Amino acid sequence: MDIVVIVMIVLGLFFYFAGSVGVIRFPDFYSRLHPAGMMDSMGLLLVMGGLAIHVATGVATGDPKIIESNDILSAVKIVLIVVFVYITSPTATHAIVDAGVRAGLGPWTKKKSEDSDGKRMD
Amino acid sequence: MKILGWLTVLMCGALLIFNVSEFPDMGDANSPANSKQNLSEYFLKKAYHDTKVPNVVTAVLADYRGYDTMYETAVIFSAGLACFFLLRIFRKKGPKSRFYRHTPTGVTLRIDEGGKLPEESDVFKRIDSIWIPHDNIVRITCRLVVPFIQIFALYVIAHGHYSPGGGFQGGVLLGASIILIAVSNNLRAGIQRMSEKGAALMGSAGVLIYAGTAALCLLLGSQFLNYNALAKLLHIKPVVARYNGILIVEIGVALAVMAVMVWIYYNLSSAGKHDEGL
Repeated sequence: MDIVVIVMIVLGLFFYFAGSVGVIRFPDFYSRLHPAGMMDSMGLLLVMGGLAIHVATGVATGDPKIIESNDILSAVKIVLIVVFVYITSPTATHAIVDAGVRAGLGPWTKKKSEDSDGKRMD
Repeated sequence: MKILGWLTVLMCGALLIFNVSEFPDMGDANSPANSKQNLSEYFLKKAYHDTKVPNVVTAVLADYRGYDTMYETAVIFSAGLACFFLLRIFRKKGPKSRFYRHTPTGVTLRIDEGGKLPEESDVFKRIDSIWIPHDNIVRITCRLVVPFIQIFALYVIAHGHYSPGGGFQGGVLLGASIILIAVSNNLRAGIQRMSEKGAALMGSAGVLIYAGTAALCLLLGSQFLNYNALAKLLHIKPVVARYNGILIVEIGVALAVMAVMVWIYYNLSSAGKHDEGL
């Protein structure tokens, strides 16, 4: 089971990394929100899922005095974190996009990429 | 008047800097906080014995160092007061025209000054002039999340004895939940839930609970903030009285922090007009 956990967490970290690269590399405000929202959701699901499995199946402590414990309650709490972030994170992305549209920021297009920063869409 | 303000600020600053020389040096091995036979060791070893609170941080914050926390609460309250006095405008200047939405049809009405304003109801909803479109997603998500935030805040306040948390953190969470309502709907929705007067009253009530508990100990024939004295009033052992005294004080802190957070938000977001805001 440890291998599954390690694979999930490493994969989750990869998604987080891809998200951060995306935030830096994408051309404008709206497209940057895309990796920020999507990659974070996937990364969170994998990392937290890995942690939940790790906690639920028992922690090998290595110390013979402390027996292996499987902590289902903590696993449920970790799953709850994922649930709440899955409700709030897309809403936050939506609200930020709304704010951008409201402030009059136009989307990026290849044609007029030179004046993409802060160009108003009228 | 400006010069007077500057003078006051400079003199207070000078006083503070002057007193820094009295402090022990950074990392001084013989300072009370660091030396072996003194404070830290005592707190870590005796905190549970003295107060029955397993979380040493809470015991130090609300009991050993109770004066400091009391004035921290007072400082937070005076921050709220300062925002109120600096920003609040009672004259109805505001925008000349008001916007209403007819909910069944989605039509937006602009009513100029002097026009007949419709009754505020589910059919006619007043909306801010700077934010006209519907935003149901944000509004409903926030409505879904707010109760969980508040439950968690109460847990943080009540469980401060056993885990990280306490009055300040729980109060901030409670305040944030009301600010979230105000952000996701409009400022008036927040004021409906918690009026300005209510915020001011709760803020002062929080400070009063803290200082009042302390003064009650004085009246019961003990030192200021010595919760042992509450044992006579509650008919419990002195150690348990300390435990409960910390809880009462934390509740006061939470009330004050929540109310002041909300109050400052109202004043800052509407520039003191409490009419239209974020």
